[in-house]
Amino acid sequence: MQRRAFWLFTGPSVVLMLVLMVFPVAFAAQLSLNRVLLRDLRTWTFVGLENYREVLADPAFWNSLRFTLQYVVTTVPIQMALGLAIALLLDRIGRGRSIYLAALLMPFIVTPVVGTLLYRDLFTRGGLIAFVAELVTGEAFVVTAGNVRALIMVHAVWFTTPFAMIVYLAGLQTLPQERLEAAAIDGASFLQSLRSVVLPHLRSLTVFIGLISVMDAYRTFDNVFVFAGSRFSEAHTLQVYNFYVALSNQIGRVGKGHAIAILNVIGIFVVLIPFLVRTWREQLAER
Amino acid sequence: MGVLDLVRPPATSPRRLSHRAMAGMAGPPPRRLPRLLLHLTLGALVVWSVVPFVWALQSSVKFTRDAITRVPVFWGYELTSGAYRAFWLESDDQAFLPIIATALGAVLVSVVVARIGRRRQVSWPWYSASVVIVALTLFAIPMRFEMTRNYDYLINSVIVTVLTLTISISLGLLAGYGLARFSGISGAVILIVALAFRALPRTAFALPYFVVADRLGITNSRLVIVIALVALNQPFTIWMLRSFFMEIPRAIEEAAMVDGATRFQAFWRVIVPIMWPGIIATSLFTLLLAYNEFLLVRVLTVTEWTLPVALVALTGGESTTTLTQAAAASVSITLPIVVVIIIFQKHLVKGLAAGAVKG
Repeated sequence: MQRRAFWLFTGPSVVLMLVLMVFPVAFAAQLSLNRVLLRDLRTWTFVGLENYREVLADPAFWNSLRFTLQYVVTTVPIQMALGLAIALLLDRIGRGRSIYLAALLMPFIVTPVVGTLLYRDLFTRGGLIAFVAELVTGEAFVVTAGNVRALIMVHAVWFTTPFAMIVYLAGLQTLPQERLEAAAIDGASFLQSLRSVVLPHLRSLTVFIGLISVMDAYRTFDNVFVFAGSRFSEAHTLQVYNFYVALSNQIGRVGKGHAIAILNVIGIFVVLIPFLVRTWREQLAER
Repeated sequence: MGVLDLVRPPATSPRRLSHRAMAGMAGPPPRRLPRLLLHLTLGALVVWSVVPFVWALQSSVKFTRDAITRVPVFWGYELTSGAYRAFWLESDDQAFLPIIATALGAVLVSVVVARIGRRRQVSWPWYSASVVIVALTLFAIPMRFEMTRNYDYLINSVIVTVLTLTISISLGLLAGYGLARFSGISGAVILIVALAFRALPRTAFALPYFVVADRLGITNSRLVIVIALVALNQPFTIWMLRSFFMEIPRAIEEAAMVDGATRFQAFWRVIVPIMWPGIIATSLFTLLLAYNEFLLVRVLTVTEWTLPVALVALTGGESTTTLTQAAAASVSITLPIVVVIIIFQKHLVKGLAAGAVKG
């Protein structure tokens, strides 16, 4: 394709992304150097790096960073392993697969805030799990500061696993049958052929799912916002902490909020640089 | 080969055939117990996946007194549509059935029209008509019946989703095609930058958008939300659509161009028509993103909410009287998206298998 034609095709999309993604982040960087309050957005007072200093001295920031990292390293591997396991099961099923698939996809397609409310209702008074827990332990079940993080992470596995599942399932459809047959003829057991044929085939896919999952887990907002809300600030992730600092009526520190947003951007890039370098090399190799 | 993959139904793929052939010839005879075990395991996973939905469905048709008992009432409770009425209807003496009948009737007519159109040579007028029928009904319902604000939020959700989907896929098709066919270095740069954008946390956009929208006086605009969602979704859209275009051999459009078509004509008349599996799969993800978005809409609107924001506002208070209503709202919000996914789920797996998962 000619360069001119390329830009005609790609131009609109690139311009849109530049205007609506580069500009806001640059604007955020500038705003983060100012003291700006929610009740008076027009008044900016330049304070240099003061907002950043304040954020880094805020225990709530470190707390949310710790929980975010815990959330990422706990939920991502579980959802990927579980997703792969379910995909392998579904792949062995012929008839009835679409019914299973539709049911298993439900947690993924439901609006996150809705899914979280439904999950939350199971634990409130009169909820199914609260009732079962009370039957087992003999005490009334309550969501507390002690268990709220675990509940949030279990829920995260619930709604993120189907994504890994469906991508792995699609990947299994492209597995060359000859290789499986060759392994079977050599007398390989299920586990052996899984290790030597299936998993290598899914390797690049695993990187892809891992990449997407880490991005999404790192910036998770809806589920924590609804489940923890303002009641359980110990279970706030970075994005929720960021929201409350910038936009809650009690705090409303917009400038400081932008500093947190910029720190979040830096944080995700530190995590992602190996992935980006890898993809860059792949892209160059293709050309 | 790639194109054949796209259009061939999975049932006839060599993979499935040899699977069966293997069971019949070389492999051991099919064992009963593992098969049962397979279904039991999957059944347990299905329970884990759908329990919250079943629970909400149950709560939504209960009276509040039955919904908040300490020991759950599993059966024998009195059924009521009260929660749904409270969420959707302005006055209590209205009948619900005519509204549902009108909506379902419109959908039915629209499906029939679309089906007729599919068999015609020129199908776009039929498809357009089918969309117009649904749209007109959607807007006509509040003229005839007294609906609550929640109906306005539903309309906002529909408008935002449809516009985001249309614009996002149109721009994404163009860019995805360009990126699949151009081998210069700037293509690689764009792809990497887009991937980096995909990673950015939402607040890094939502907060500056909020401040800028306030300054420009454009808060509460559905259009702003649509544009923001299109931008946020572009990285994913172009990567995914590009991977589908990569599977289509260049020879196809080159043949069209030898016959005198311009590059754009070849793209539009020859390539896009065989891209449908990719378009459907990508559209489903875009649809989910737009319909489900919470943070951006919450930050950028004052009254022009979409359904997710309205629901959180309703349930923020934690009061038990809203529990059944929240359940009814949840079911109402979830139903349309579930229907769409059930209809298109086969395309989702097939589409992903045909293109997106190779990269």
